[in-house]
Amino acid sequence: MVIGYYHSKETFGTVDGEGIRYVLFLAGCGLGCAFCHNPDTWTKGEREITVEETLKDINQYRNFYDASGGGLTVSGGEPLLQPGFVAELFAACQKDGIHTTLDTAGFCKTEAILQVLPYTDHVLFSLKAIDQKLHRKLTLVDSNEVIIRNLFYIAERKPVTLRYVVIPKVTDDAESIKKLIELLHSIKSVQLKVDLLPYHILGVYKWNELGMVYKLEGIPAATPKDVKRVSDMLLAASIPLQYPK
Amino acid sequence: MNVWNGFNKGKWQTEIDVRDFIQTNYLPYDGDDSFLTGVTAKTKKVWDTCTELLAAENKKGGVLDVDTAVVSTVVSHKPGYINQENEVIFGLQTEAPLKRGLIVNGGLRMAEQACEEYGYKLDKEIENIYTNHVITHNQAVFGLYTPEMRRARSLGLLTGLPDAYGRGRIIGDYRRIALYGVNYLIEQKQKDKDEIFISPMLEETMRTRDEISQQIKALKDLIEMGRSYGFDISLPAKNAIEAVQWIYFGYLAAIKEQNGAAMSIGRTSTFLDIYITRDLAAGILTEVGAQEIIDQFVIKLRLARMLRTPEYNELFAGDPLWVTESIGGIGQDGRSLVTKNSYRMLHTLYNLGPAPEPNLTVLWSDRLPENFKKFAAKVSVKTSAIQYENDEVMRDVYGDDYGITCCVSAMKLGKMMQFFGARANLAKSLLLSINGGKDEKTDKQLAPVMPIPEGEYLDYEVVRKNYSEVLAWLAGLYVNTMNVIHYSHDRHAYEAGQMALHDSKIERLMAFGVAGLSVAIDSLSAIRYAKVKPIRNAAGVAVDFVIEGDFPKYGNNDERVDSLAKEITHEFITELRKHPAYRQAKHTLSVLTITSNVMYGKKTGSTPDGRKAGEPLAPGANPMHGRDTNGALAAMRSVANISYDDCRDGISYTFSIVPGALGKTETARINNLSALLDGYSKYRAHHININVFDRELLVAAMKEPEKYPQLTIRVSGYAVHFVKLSHAHQLEVISRTFYEAV
Repeated sequence: MVIGYYHSKETFGTVDGEGIRYVLFLAGCGLGCAFCHNPDTWTKGEREITVEETLKDINQYRNFYDASGGGLTVSGGEPLLQPGFVAELFAACQKDGIHTTLDTAGFCKTEAILQVLPYTDHVLFSLKAIDQKLHRKLTLVDSNEVIIRNLFYIAERKPVTLRYVVIPKVTDDAESIKKLIELLHSIKSVQLKVDLLPYHILGVYKWNELGMVYKLEGIPAATPKDVKRVSDMLLAASIPLQYPK
Repeated sequence: MNVWNGFNKGKWQTEIDVRDFIQTNYLPYDGDDSFLTGVTAKTKKVWDTCTELLAAENKKGGVLDVDTAVVSTVVSHKPGYINQENEVIFGLQTEAPLKRGLIVNGGLRMAEQACEEYGYKLDKEIENIYTNHVITHNQAVFGLYTPEMRRARSLGLLTGLPDAYGRGRIIGDYRRIALYGVNYLIEQKQKDKDEIFISPMLEETMRTRDEISQQIKALKDLIEMGRSYGFDISLPAKNAIEAVQWIYFGYLAAIKEQNGAAMSIGRTSTFLDIYITRDLAAGILTEVGAQEIIDQFVIKLRLARMLRTPEYNELFAGDPLWVTESIGGIGQDGRSLVTKNSYRMLHTLYNLGPAPEPNLTVLWSDRLPENFKKFAAKVSVKTSAIQYENDEVMRDVYGDDYGITCCVSAMKLGKMMQFFGARANLAKSLLLSINGGKDEKTDKQLAPVMPIPEGEYLDYEVVRKNYSEVLAWLAGLYVNTMNVIHYSHDRHAYEAGQMALHDSKIERLMAFGVAGLSVAIDSLSAIRYAKVKPIRNAAGVAVDFVIEGDFPKYGNNDERVDSLAKEITHEFITELRKHPAYRQAKHTLSVLTITSNVMYGKKTGSTPDGRKAGEPLAPGANPMHGRDTNGALAAMRSVANISYDDCRDGISYTFSIVPGALGKTETARINNLSALLDGYSKYRAHHININVFDRELLVAAMKEPEKYPQLTIRVSGYAVHFVKLSHAHQLEVISRTFYEAV
């Protein structure tokens, strides 16, 4: 039996995929994003859960998920660092009629994707930066080459919501958005929509609690205006948004 | 003209049977809200006047004016108007809007104090009459109370008892007036008196005869009150506008006669839809006109006022009256009871802006039409002014023509009445079982003496056994106290007008309640799964607790602790049932606090779950703030786990969420809320209040109340204007768990 290491669970998830969802936050992530609002999920920790336990727990709330067209979202941390667990969990869910959504940043071996993707209905792909230099600045990883390659692989096979965090003056300048548009245009996707996430600072306290230095100190949260500006640019380039208006 | 022309025939024509009239005549509606119309010029003028008056009332500290010279009865006051030429539904409690009448039969003290607190002086003659010539309910109860009852009351074990004010919670079936006219109701009452209650001529029969006589007198007064406004309600209503007017007169008579804690209106929307539909078909009414009638009906209900003390307000904050209107539900034949008028009623929240009254209550079922579900969810997201109760659990018990009285309490309309019983403090009861029966605040012996648990740490088995002893003792005391109160109320403040709108052979419920359930069971869980060390004073009373280790907490769908909630409520109702209730009433139980959880908290010492002395208890059946860590659905499953069979008077849950955490778009928020209610209903949970707004909004409203006069929030079973709450209540609301998305 495969064991998953998890950080927490949210029975009433409404912002990570369609409908009402059970969100399982797995523990462990190697990307180290400077703006991460869950730095407490980076280490693998000791909380364990089995596929059976998870499925049993989800089924406690099935009436809510079924009535809303929701299901299960596995988030993190980086779920694709535990592909064996996620694949088995998703397979079991699909067998039981539960819709599966994977919330990933795509920083993993391609084998992990091969393992999980067949049992995945929908992917939330969180792309941090397109520009290498910016990517280096915002994460602990030198190159986003693997990530982009994984994005192409997934988007060609499954419906993807690409999530992009609008950080004022960091990721929302014209140049960055232009690069994002170019990238999106070059993907032959099954179905790809963009969800712009406004950068917020509600997770900063966690960094302090963990005794870690928050590198984006002083950068304000994105305003609705900031997001609107970016979404207008995307719409002008015929990029479909997940939540238009 | 035959007033019933155009209605389908049925047995409702030969005997009083409003349900049969509804079932044979109503037209279910499963379309959307696009037919609804806006506010008319007339309504706007009336409502504008009211808005000014309401602002003035707020500015004056909550009471605009009081009639201190006349005791309010059905016929005590001349007709009153707001803006006569623009009103379409008429009738006020006194000659002027928001001028409060004096109702004294519940108790003189309440009226006297209320007058004084708001800068008025009670008329000397009234004081004299009600001190020297009339025995009030309040006076009689205190003559009946035993020393033990007084102790339990003053130490806060039993609180909020209706011994100084009207018990309320009785719903007259006001629809009977519209359908049959008052003359017919009088005839039927006379017949009951002459044919049914004639033998044996012993106490119960004589009392019933006496009560029916009072009812007949009240019905005659009702005709007279109608006449003073220029209407003849001795005859049935001829059209929709009369039907609304007739119903409202019935309700108005009730609130002129009774200062009841909760004075609910019943289930009028779908009944009225039958009249509206007939008028629309006949071409004598338009949709605009129909909405105007309903809007103006609701304006009148929004102006209903009682004269109460600030002390009372501390218990039930925000000047509530629980003019509860039950909407929707599914009939026993499977057809939805949603009609166009269900929409019109909810639409008043748009046309007039949000408000706590009438207390709009949607009887939810996943079988309701999808369009209506979405509409109700949309109104909730926008106004937070709707509460939901699960028709799927109530229909089995109360049929399909029940109404909600107060917050969560269901009754068959016209067929059941209720003896309201406030609530017992379960958290304090648990402390009694840790302290040898002594009150933790005063060291006084309250419960029977029992051994104080020995040892450094509390032993679960010992405490649990003691708790059973305390609950068994409390149940007996509670039933007897209620019997005393309602015996007195029947004798000295009988609701003749409302009871006249019931069958003469009536089913009675005695509605007990509990507060502090989550504190009690979290405390038991702490004792069982962690180590709890009591810190005792010289009298051996635990004044604080040291908790070592973690323990499962109610609100996380954790069987280990949720089972205790089920176990304790089951045990308590079982104990209550062992003691016969006055007039063969059936015992019911609620898990409901309204806002009294704040006051109960003040009267409760530190508890073994880590809650400190004086801190509020959680409202209703809610988990304690911040202890539910697995998300909202886990908390809902914990609440749903409590059995409605044990708690037939209702299980109240308040859910507060910021809009963003309900979904990313308005459509998503509406769909998710509707699905949330479907799921909640399917898990057979009972009641839920929905609040959708940001905590920041409440903080802002606290700072600048004048900017948010209509900000309405739902508080454990009813809605309230946030700015009318006391500072302590406002803080308590803000500190509650808000589900947020990060």
